[in-house]
Order: sequence, then structure tokens, then C-alpha cells
Amino acid sequence: MSFLKIAWFEYRRRIRSKWFIIGTFGMPFLILAISLGTGYLAGSGAGLETKHYGLIDETSYFGEKLQSALSERYAERDIAPLDIAVSNGTFVELRAQYEDLVVEKVLDGYFVIPEDFSLNPNLRNYSRSSSTLKSADVIESELKDLLIEDRVARHDLPETIIADLWFDLDVIFYEIGSGEERENEALIADYVAPFIFMFLLFLGIFTGGQLLLRAVLEERSSRVIEVLLSTVSYNDLMGGKILGLGMLGLTQSTIYLGAVILAGSYFDLSILTPTITILYFTYFILGYLFYAGIYIGVGALFDSEQEAQQAIQIITFIAIIPMVLWTLVIENPNSALVNILSYVPPVTPFFMMIKIAVGETTVFQVATTIMLMLACVYGSIHLAAKIFRTGILMYGKRITLPEIVRWLSA
Amino acid sequence: MNVQAGRIFGFLGPNGAGKTTAIRMLMNIIMPDTGSILFDGSDKRPAPHLIGYLPEERGLYQKISVFETLQYFAHLRNVQAADQKIINMLERFDLVSRKQSKVNELSKGNQQKLQFINTILHDPQYIVLDEPFSGLDPVNQLLLKEILEEMKQAGKTIIFSSHQMDQVEKLCDDVALINKGHMVTSGTLSEIMSSQTNRQLQVTPVSELDLNHKYFLTRNAEIRSGSAFIQIGDENKQQLISEINALIDIRSIRVAEPGLEDIFIQLVTGADQ
Repeated sequence: MSFLKIAWFEYRRRIRSKWFIIGTFGMPFLILAISLGTGYLAGSGAGLETKHYGLIDETSYFGEKLQSALSERYAERDIAPLDIAVSNGTFVELRAQYEDLVVEKVLDGYFVIPEDFSLNPNLRNYSRSSSTLKSADVIESELKDLLIEDRVARHDLPETIIADLWFDLDVIFYEIGSGEERENEALIADYVAPFIFMFLLFLGIFTGGQLLLRAVLEERSSRVIEVLLSTVSYNDLMGGKILGLGMLGLTQSTIYLGAVILAGSYFDLSILTPTITILYFTYFILGYLFYAGIYIGVGALFDSEQEAQQAIQIITFIAIIPMVLWTLVIENPNSALVNILSYVPPVTPFFMMIKIAVGETTVFQVATTIMLMLACVYGSIHLAAKIFRTGILMYGKRITLPEIVRWLSA
Repeated sequence: MNVQAGRIFGFLGPNGAGKTTAIRMLMNIIMPDTGSILFDGSDKRPAPHLIGYLPEERGLYQKISVFETLQYFAHLRNVQAADQKIINMLERFDLVSRKQSKVNELSKGNQQKLQFINTILHDPQYIVLDEPFSGLDPVNQLLLKEILEEMKQAGKTIIFSSHQMDQVEKLCDDVALINKGHMVTSGTLSEIMSSQTNRQLQVTPVSELDLNHKYFLTRNAEIRSGSAFIQIGDENKQQLISEINALIDIRSIRVAEPGLEDIFIQLVTGADQ
């Protein structure tokens, strides 16, 4: 039972460490602070600057209307994101003057409303860079509305019909079965919750993995490994470490899941169902064990943390794929790409977690991915044990790839 | 190589000779390619709690306290009433006031003492020490020797490697010398000391001018510190003394027995050649 003693030692010494406590409890606050902070910054207009454009209006009609529409649009903002200076005239007359202003950086660019704009609605833009694109979108949208208004007016329709033509369309969301209308919070939670589960899984697995790597390197560099190996077997030592630090990752995940439940109950939402909880812990354990083998194997090969971290970077890079593709998985959980990626072991737990949280998976997919992960966990731990046994005592020796291959095939 | 129970065995060899590798094989940390290690005639390794091992370098967690370090290893080795035993040991080694200190806050010597406590806390039958005197001041070296003597009296089997030949000479009953992975010599300390033939005659003449005497030249004597050192090998020393007395006016003459260090150097150099 030595591995249980080792597991308890690893768990106990790290759970009391101030960095673990700060990291675990500080992380949600940090994420909240960053979200609120960036939200506030975005809302406050800090970091924004007004872009100045010229507008050559060959119609001598739409330019001024556009100017007032933009003033109305940004009436409540301290800083308007864009400002236009309108000149009625022709492109041929005014072009040279505007080009100079753009070159001298007085203007960010200029637009041209051609004379036949009503019949042939094309807007021209001349600018230095692509930073005009967003402004062009706003101007395009406002001009489109103005053009519709103008066309409607030209048909001489009664005011009531005109008022009737302008309306806002809303989609109202209902629950299947209960038929109850869904609140906005529930809709947002449905969209974000799968990401949260995937992120927590990621955090728990890689926190445990990183700690495992450091624990192996610490024992290797301080030579404690020799005293330990004279007392316990390789398997007990490796097993104890994996268990202890896995429990630590699990503790952290449980704390975060608890926070998610609390946050959900505040908004009267039940984000975490028993099925999701069970599958969350299942994929956590499988994902952690899979990566534990890799982290232990790498830890046993290097003397310094710097070298080991460089080697592990490629693994972390692969695991970041779900973090990049999460919106794709939420919006297309059954696309061929997502289904294929769900069977790629390094990312299987993360993709499956999103699919489960979205509710777009089958019992077959869950069962087969669990079996796949079980096989990969066996392989990963088995190979890690071979590397650990041979490499852990090779201090100061640069281990080559052919050597590793030889150990693995032994 | 045969280590007898209840004795202190000195395991010697120059740097890179393979001492640490042999010790690691003994500790079952690495497997020998050839050969075998038997304990009391059996190739079954004794249970971990019967063995105490002190590695050559550090071997301690740096960021946990002295007390926790000892507690963890005691727990792994199923030591009963461990806390009290830890306190007793810390008191004996004058470390009790540092029991809550982190290991990396201790001096090198104190870390070595802590490591030694960790090696013997579980009262093992076999004690394997790789350079145990490293980093210890003379007072603590004496304390360590005292404890090793006590353990020997208690019937423990002690194996230790060291470069400090004076310690080996004072402590060991048996010695083995290896070089480049091969055995050069082994046996009881007295056997090895007496088997060496490189005894010298130290001759101090009344006048230092006599150090240039042609007798010393013909004998290839080494001249240092006002004396001439003549290799005597198996020669009859009484006959030699009479011979020298007849030729040179002598203040003193004595047989200089080689120390273990001299034997070590001679054997290693001889083995290399």
C-alpha cells in the first residue's frame, strides 16, 4: 500500500501550498475581474479613437442625411467611433484635395457616393489601410436604410404603411416539452456552459499534469528518487504520484464545478445535470491518466524544468485545439470534422465534454470514446513506466530518441 | 566480494570506479548486467524496512520541513511511534531546534545529518552509506563514527564508500577496492595493510650533507624533510640498518608503514598500468 502513502503525501503537501490555494481560489476571481474589466473598457470607449473620413457626395442629398443618421447613432457615446466631413461635388473635382488629406493623415480615408446612387447603390472607398472595414460596414448599413426610406418615399405611400414597413423582428425561444419561454440568461448559459466544462476539464488535467512533471523533476534533481526507490517499487512511486496529483486536479475541478452550480442557481439555471457530472469526472480521469503518462515520461528524461517544459510544449499545443475550436463544436457538434476529432485521443475528452454539454452525442459515441481512452491510458502509462524505470536515474546524460525507442521496445 | 554480518565494510575506489553504481545495484535501484547480489545466501532482497540507504548527493525534499521529511519516510517504512523516535534522533544530532525549518534552510552539514537520521531512523539491519562524512565538521564526523560503532555493536551490517581514507582506516573491519568496475583487492583491513610490500626505511642523518651520500643514490632513495626514504620490500631490515649505520652517521632510523591512502594510490596506479 506504499502508493497510497505516496499519493497522500503528494496530495497533502501541495493542497496546503499557498500557491495552490491562491491559484485555485484566485483563478475564478481573476477570470471574473478580467471579464468585467474588459467589458467595462469596451463599454467605456477607452482605447477607441474617432476615425475621420471625407465623403464626396455627388448626389448632394445622401451625405447630409448620413451625417445626421451617424450623429443619432452615436448620440449616447462620449466618443463617436467615426466622423465624416461631407463635401457636395464631383469625384473629379475633389479627388486631388482628398487624396492629399489622406496622405497627410488628416483623414483615414474617404468615401464617394456616386451620382446614380439611388439606382445603382454602390459606395466607393479610398483609404490607407484595412482599418476602414468596420467603418465601411456601419456606413453601408446606414446608407442602405436611407436608400430604402428614400425609395419608399418616392412611391408616395401613406405614413401608416411606411410605419408598418419598419419593424423589429425577435425570435422567441421555447423549451421542448414544457413549452416554457426561455430567458436570455438560459440561452447564454446554454451557449457558454459547454465551454466552461471543457475549460475546467482542461484546467484540471493540465494542472495535475504540470504538477506531476515538477514532482518528478524535483525528485530527480534532488536525488530523493534514490532514497524512495530503495524503499518502494517503481510502480508504487509512479502510481502514488499519479493518484495524489490526480486527486489534486480533481479537488480543483470539484471546487470550480461547485462555483458553476452556485452561479447557475443564482440565475435559477440548472447547468450541471447528474449525467454531465458523471461524464465530466469520467473524461477527467481518463484525460488526466492519458496525459499523466506523457508528463511522467517527459519528467523522467530531463534534468531541468526548462528543457522539460520545452519538450512538453508540443503536447500542450495539441491540447489547445479544442480551446480554439469550441465555437465550431457548439454550433456543429455532429459535423464530420468534430466527430473525427472526438476520436483523436489527446483531444477526445475535451471535444466529448462539449458535445455532451450541448446534448448532441450518442450513447455509442460515449461508450466508444471511453473504450478508446481506456486503451490509450493503458498504452500511455505502460510506455511511461518503461521510460520512468530506465531514464529516471540517468542524471546529466542527454538521452537520444533512438535510446527512448529502444527502451520502449524492450 | 563478501560482506560479513555485524561488521563495517569500506568500499573504496577512485572517482568513476563504479562505487555508486555498485551501491545502486545493491539497493535494487538498477539491475546488474551480469553477476548477482545475495543476502544471507539468498537472491531475495530484504524488505525495505531492513535497509537504510544514504545516497552520495542530497536525497532530500528541499521545500518541506525537517520533521515532515522524516515523518514521510518513517511512514513509508512502517516505523512505529515514529514521532518520538524522530525527536530523539534530532536531539542527538542537535537538530531539534530546526525541526520546523525547511530543508533548504539548513547548512550542507545539517542536511547531511538529516539524511543520516533518515537512513537509520527505522533501525535497519543493513546500512549502506555513500560518502557519509561529506560536508560534516570534525565534531559531527566524530558523532557519526560513534553511532556507526554503536550500530556495529548492535550487530548491524554497515557498508560505506568514502574518499576519506583516515575514516576508513579508523572505522572499517573489512575493505574492498575497485577500479574501473573491477575488483583490485579485498579483505580485512589488517590483511590489506600487512600484505603491502612497499614499506620504507626513514633515515635521518646527523648532517644534511649526508643526504647526498652515494648509498642513497644507489638505493634510489626519496629525499624529503631532511630524511631519506628507502624502499625495503622483503629485505631484512636489521641487516639494512647495520649496513647504513656502518656507512653514515645517523640521528634516527625507523620503518615507515604505508597508510591506507598510500596503498590506495599504489594499487590504483598499479591497476591503471
